[in-house]
Amino acid sequence: MRRLARAVSALLRVEIATMLQYRGEIVLWSTWGLVNPLVLYAIFKAGAMSNDNHQMAGLTVPQIAAYYFTMMIVGHVTAAWDTHEMSWYIRTGRMSAMLLRPILPMWKSMAGNLAYKICTLAFVGPMWILVAFLIRPEFNATPKQFMLGLLAVVLAGLMNYFLTYVVALVAFWTTKLDAVGEIYFGLAMFVGGRLAPLDALPGPIRVVADVLPFKYMAAFPVEMLMGRITVEAEAFRGLMVQAAWLVASLILFRCLWAVALKRYTAVSG
Amino acid sequence: MLRRPLKLMGLFLKVSVLNVAAYRFDMLVRVFVSLMHLVADLGSVWIIFHNTKSVAGWTAAHMMVLVGVFRIVAGGIRILIVPNMRRVLEDIMEGTLDFVLLRPVNAQFLVSIREVVVWRIVDIVLGAAVSAYGCYQLNGHVPIQSVFLFVLMLSAGFTIVYCFWLMLATLCFWFVRIQNIEMVFWNVFEAGRFPIQVYPNWLQWTLTYLIPLAFITTFPAMAGSGDPTKISPQIVLTAIFMAVLMFVLSSWFWRIGLKRYSGASA
Amino acid sequence: MPQIDVHNLTKTFKVPEREGGVGAAMKSLFRRKQKEVHAVSDVSFSVAQGEIVGFLGPNGAGKTTTLKMLSGLLHPTSGSATVMDQVPWKRDATYLRRISMLMGQRSQLQWDLPATDSFYVHSAIYDIPKDQYQQTLDELVALLDIGGILKKQVRTMSLGERMKCEICVSLLHRPSVLFLDEPTIGVDITMQSRIRQFIGEYNRKHGATIILTSHYMADVVALCKRIIVIDHGRILFDGQLDALSEKLAPFKVIKIDLDRDVGAYDFAALGDVLVRESRKVELRVPRANAPGVAEQLLSQLPVQDLTIEDPPIEHVIEKAFGTKLEKAVDA
Repeated sequence: MRRLARAVSALLRVEIATMLQYRGEIVLWSTWGLVNPLVLYAIFKAGAMSNDNHQMAGLTVPQIAAYYFTMMIVGHVTAAWDTHEMSWYIRTGRMSAMLLRPILPMWKSMAGNLAYKICTLAFVGPMWILVAFLIRPEFNATPKQFMLGLLAVVLAGLMNYFLTYVVALVAFWTTKLDAVGEIYFGLAMFVGGRLAPLDALPGPIRVVADVLPFKYMAAFPVEMLMGRITVEAEAFRGLMVQAAWLVASLILFRCLWAVALKRYTAVSG
Repeated sequence: MLRRPLKLMGLFLKVSVLNVAAYRFDMLVRVFVSLMHLVADLGSVWIIFHNTKSVAGWTAAHMMVLVGVFRIVAGGIRILIVPNMRRVLEDIMEGTLDFVLLRPVNAQFLVSIREVVVWRIVDIVLGAAVSAYGCYQLNGHVPIQSVFLFVLMLSAGFTIVYCFWLMLATLCFWFVRIQNIEMVFWNVFEAGRFPIQVYPNWLQWTLTYLIPLAFITTFPAMAGSGDPTKISPQIVLTAIFMAVLMFVLSSWFWRIGLKRYSGASA
Repeated sequence: MPQIDVHNLTKTFKVPEREGGVGAAMKSLFRRKQKEVHAVSDVSFSVAQGEIVGFLGPNGAGKTTTLKMLSGLLHPTSGSATVMDQVPWKRDATYLRRISMLMGQRSQLQWDLPATDSFYVHSAIYDIPKDQYQQTLDELVALLDIGGILKKQVRTMSLGERMKCEICVSLLHRPSVLFLDEPTIGVDITMQSRIRQFIGEYNRKHGATIILTSHYMADVVALCKRIIVIDHGRILFDGQLDALSEKLAPFKVIKIDLDRDVGAYDFAALGDVLVRESRKVELRVPRANAPGVAEQLLSQLPVQDLTIEDPPIEHVIEKAFGTKLEKAVDA
């Protein structure tokens, strides 16, 4: 454990140093996470204004603002992108170099993930404040709801990280990882609630969203932070589901990693 | 006079087609991803109009025309503009642009057509189909003058996009380390996914005159609605004027950049 | 008990076979034809502690595949191997901590940062005690003479500088067993000899066991008393270098450029003709005859340029073992 902590903190330090070499690039990357929710906010607000009650799916305009504003932040802090990198690691032989080390390659990727978030904070943080002034979100969360919401965000981040990594392992079998990654991303948009609050979706799709993990990585923590989930039992149920998905994804990761490694040592090396 | 450039274009196209033929399965996967993007675009429109009848004066059918336009333009950018501009950036960084300058053909023309990602035509076909269907929903048929206006506005829009990219690429003559300049474009382009009328006034103005995004997606979609009151002759004329202006401006800028390049490398 | 013990190690890859033409390509969408490639077949050898063994063979002979199996990156199709009493492909962390593998361009280094940062990460990942790390680093920096480039961004280093840093990082945890895959590839001659010297010193100082692959004869001659010649996945020779030299019956290659075509001149009488063009000829002659042949050529022909070289390793093996070498793609 102490050994792992030493390795990961060293990796984190060096990944931060690397990110800082690419500060211009990471600012550009993180901009998309700002623009996309704002564009969706604009269209939803326009939709609400055309309705007689000035609402969309039961949300007033300041609530719509709060939804997309929170989604902007949650989306950023829970981001994971191993589906975009895994094929490259394998193709270029970097995976072999990483496998020679007595530590899971996953830790390096996780350090990179954290490093990106730490380094971009200096840029997105002020932008978030600016956006808050611009669109005036309305929050109703009690301190307790908010704290539970933060916990939900942490669980969401871990869930998304490990599920993305599991999906990325597909790269050990096929070079068409991009297509798989797109499906994951598309589902996160639609049934995860990144595109629109789940209440805006037609009934049957909401049922689908309930059984899939994506909602628990986006819409659920966002609604917790907004104070939309007022029934405490519902909040705890959601947190339990998150925890269950997290455990499941960890188990899935362990099993799939073993199989992927077997495959890798059988054919590519 | 036009025969040689056309022949060149045909040659680059042929190489690209051969590439597609060699990697059929990859193509199938990519076409599938492309289809998914379109489904996602349509899905988002569907969700929005599941909750409201109109958005900033746009109905669902009209919004479909816009979805189509967004796909067509994005497709066009990926067929020609992105691959060529990437290559120009590479050439400038590696100093291999000299090979282009040695050819007895206009350099701007040559750097704009060297690479053709031919399978992306799927995006244009799909986009056009969606736009046409939206127009049909609005009018019960697809009026021919509307098609004409639509194509005209799209061409103006596409010219503007091209010039915008050319200027971005030209910047590379001064600032070599701007590989990720693509991201700048896609971040801005994202805002063109929906009609500019949904944005606050100051932003609408910015997206029309400072960054002419409105001419790229919103205005062509308005022209394609089949409703002549949707698009005023002023907008059409401004679009043409913008396209010409941007073309002249970007060519001029490109030539200045080239001068700097040959001056520096000599 | 030998430190490395390999028995009947075999690795067979299945690779899809692709024929030209549209019809074949369409068919391959549904049913892929597969071809078996025997990268390593039935290889057995053992290495004692502190020994340096050279793997010699052309590209695609199976050298890298063998090393990859010994370093736990590849699982063999059949056969067994133990290194320091552990099975490499079980990939136990304790095993990985005791070995090192250097693979040409596949970098352990962080491209965008100075080399020291990569060293630091390495020390943390291998959990090297701080004082031991400092001591090892100082020693390696002095031996490799890289004190001046430690603060340099890796991407801006020359190939030789990068290779030295690569070697440094792979030795920081003082591995007992070292696998070096083409450690001198792509660097200039002076750098090659420096690297060789260093590897020898490291071996003497720490008693490390080293297997190195190369297709430079010079690497092997300089470092290894014992060599294993491997081709088409099979061991052709395993023994002392001296014994091989006899078997190789030393040859030299004489290359000449001519002012003009000399028509029917009988080169075959002087040696094996390797290349015969109108104004370019290459001959392989026994080492002892080389000066005489050169003199004869110079006096009888309009020679513009003449060089005498050691034959490339492919020719040596071909001559010694009579195998016709084909270039295959190394997996």
